[in-house]
Amino acid sequence: MRRSIFTAGVGAAAMAAAIALAGPAQAAEGDAQLSVLHGVPGLTVDVWVNGDRTLDDFTPGSLAGPLALPPGAYELAITASDAADASAPAIGPVTVTLAANGNYTAVANLDAAGKPTANLFTNDVSRIPAGKGKLTVRHTAAAPAVDVLAGGAAVVSNLANPSEQSLTLDPGTISAAVAATGTTAPVIGPADVTVSEGTHTIVYAWGSLTDKNLQLAVQTIDGLHSAPGSVPGARDGSSENVASAGSLPAGVSAGQIVAMVGFGALALVLLLGGIGMARTIAELREG
Amino acid sequence: MKPRTTTAGRSRRRTPVEWRVAAAAAAALLLPACSQTAPAAPDSRSIAPGSIVQGQGPGPGQGTAEADSVPEPTATPAAPALVPAAVPVRPATPQAAAAAVPVPTTLTVAGTSINMVVVPVGVAAGAAMELPEAFDQAGWYRFGPAPGAASGTAVIAGHIDTTSDRAPFSQLKTLAAGTAIEVGRREAPTLTYRVVSVELMAKDSFDGDSLFRRAGPHELKVVTCGGRWLDERMDYSDNVIVTAVLD
Repeated sequence: MRRSIFTAGVGAAAMAAAIALAGPAQAAEGDAQLSVLHGVPGLTVDVWVNGDRTLDDFTPGSLAGPLALPPGAYELAITASDAADASAPAIGPVTVTLAANGNYTAVANLDAAGKPTANLFTNDVSRIPAGKGKLTVRHTAAAPAVDVLAGGAAVVSNLANPSEQSLTLDPGTISAAVAATGTTAPVIGPADVTVSEGTHTIVYAWGSLTDKNLQLAVQTIDGLHSAPGSVPGARDGSSENVASAGSLPAGVSAGQIVAMVGFGALALVLLLGGIGMARTIAELREG
Repeated sequence: MKPRTTTAGRSRRRTPVEWRVAAAAAAALLLPACSQTAPAAPDSRSIAPGSIVQGQGPGPGQGTAEADSVPEPTATPAAPALVPAAVPVRPATPQAAAAAVPVPTTLTVAGTSINMVVVPVGVAAGAAMELPEAFDQAGWYRFGPAPGAASGTAVIAGHIDTTSDRAPFSQLKTLAAGTAIEVGRREAPTLTYRVVSVELMAKDSFDGDSLFRRAGPHELKVVTCGGRWLDERMDYSDNVIVTAVLD
């Protein structure tokens, strides 16, 4: 309880959660999406929105939401899990403004020095190029700046609480480890993190280095895929060329037919002519 | 009359030979054509980003809605009904991937010589769908739904031609409604689809979101090139898109 959230000062940012207001996820046009991550070890809390208890007995390492909320300002507070109301919050009350169509994650976490606080992150829900996935790493732990290593190489460098860094990469499973900046000895992991195509995978480092309870939390936002820009189903136009060539014999046939008709007509003329001549000769002879 | 007719006949008979030579020469020159030029075609590229930008507004909302439903397709619809005010809460641990739908391995079309091996493909340069090089293979877009999926379109595409001749998919444009298309799958029963339509989609107005749809009713889309060959673009004017539904 040394790190009790109840003794914490109000964090720089926000703590959030809501639903009592909006009812369950009946997303309306323009609604903001809000998720809540509990990243303070050892505490169970309640989360209040505009004075209403919206998350009861919220435990560390849990992710709530996303909740669809009409855009606007919300008053958020965190209390002990047995509080009767939000009148004596440990964090807050703070007011956060959620934009139309915005996507947010409010995180209750420790700051770099180990004090409970809260941060409101805006999640990038722009579309991801076809065939790619997006990975964001957020430092929400009581620890100095870190590097994130994938396969032993740093893919995120010098990330400090409460910052984030994003990568767009080929989908797949990454063996990810977190190490103090400039080092490769893991303080978290290595752990498998799967990045799926068209999905924004958000990884949080949370907990405390001093208390040796650093760990990862994972949030995913899918449906951000893009379609391929084209289907290049031709190699060289051979089909078209063959088709053209195919139509030519038909033309040739027609030509041949014309020629044959010509020859036929000629033959007929010759034949008739021959007959005529024969008749003429016969007439001459008869004559 | 006689000499004139003969001359005309000869000249016409000779023409196809010359055309064939020209066609062969053109084919030789065009070897790398579509598979490289189509993805690089400025038209298709400029259109794709445009549609992305247009889709950005509703995109996030839809995306998030899908995010809700995809990981727990059974729990999500049930939860609100049972506990209307409950906020979905889960451990923030990596979620198990959804059960994979079996991979397609073969494609045959009744009444044609189309009998292709199907291989999973992704995205090539220029955001184009990747296609197998082999003329007797077709590619299944592995990032989208598979044949037999609950929703969305399973896209299988192949070349219409080889470097010198037509490929089996050149027969797609003539398929009649009701034609049976069988899709063999790895370690799963073969699926039979029936053709419902054969359409041309101009590459200039390529609608990837429609073709590669991931939600909505399940359909099979068998795709190749078609329309006119545009020399200046080294590509065909259209895509031939066969739409089929499960029998």
